[in-house]
Amino acid sequence: MARMKFLCDADRCIECNACVTACKSEHDVPWGINRRRVVTINDGKPGERSVSMACMHCTDAPCQAVCPVDCFLTTADGVVLHNKDLCIGCGYCFYACPFGAPQYPKTGNFGSRGKMDKCTYCAGGPEADNSPEEYAKYGANRLAQGKLPICAEMCSTKALLAGDSEMIATIYKERVLKRGYGSGAWGWKVAYRETIAV
Amino acid sequence: MSKSITTSAHDASEAKDVSRRRFFKVLGGASTVALAAPVMSDNAHAGESKDEARKSRYRETDHVKKFYSTNRY
Repeated sequence: MARMKFLCDADRCIECNACVTACKSEHDVPWGINRRRVVTINDGKPGERSVSMACMHCTDAPCQAVCPVDCFLTTADGVVLHNKDLCIGCGYCFYACPFGAPQYPKTGNFGSRGKMDKCTYCAGGPEADNSPEEYAKYGANRLAQGKLPICAEMCSTKALLAGDSEMIATIYKERVLKRGYGSGAWGWKVAYRETIAV
Repeated sequence: MSKSITTSAHDASEAKDVSRRRFFKVLGGASTVALAAPVMSDNAHAGESKDEARKSRYRETDHVKKFYSTNRY
């Protein structure tokens, strides 16, 4: 059985934020919510690194463990989904998640929260696959269409990998064996004819 | 005489009271069952049954294979 995973190749990520934009566009994500973000370490300094972050679809997910209404479910292929009909917007999952994945729409004054929203690995929700109800609540269900998450599919430098964990681990190992560790962004040597020290 | 009238009136009001209690008891029980049913049932995840919602959605289609091959460059 395939196990879905994301893997961001930090040597290739150029912080273009196209994954963030594509995700928002594909799923009609409302203002103020980002299911995916690009985090940059040592921004503007030599050797800076960027990593595209979203829900990591953990095995034994902490959000699932703390949810008081048990609105999370893990699919057979390892995707952590949630049910917006059961969510009460308590915010426990936000505090439990080590990656800051759960997001909340601001629905009113005095800090009231709406239903939690997070990356669905482009796998929709518990509604019928590719139904209008599913799209309205969770966005597109690309996995059921035989595709992979839009963020990974449109990554221009192929930094963000998604799919079967064994397959993407194999691809990453091949890359590391070929280029060595810490070789800079994809095309760096071609553009600058030098390598960078890590 | 007056005592028996009082007693029968008391009995009647008690019977009425008991039937009213029974009515609310039944109503309360029914509403509790109605509220708990969707939570307790297996269809807690709207649209699909729990097993159906947990099914694997991933398929290794030609589209996916193409994605893997382009990532090998």
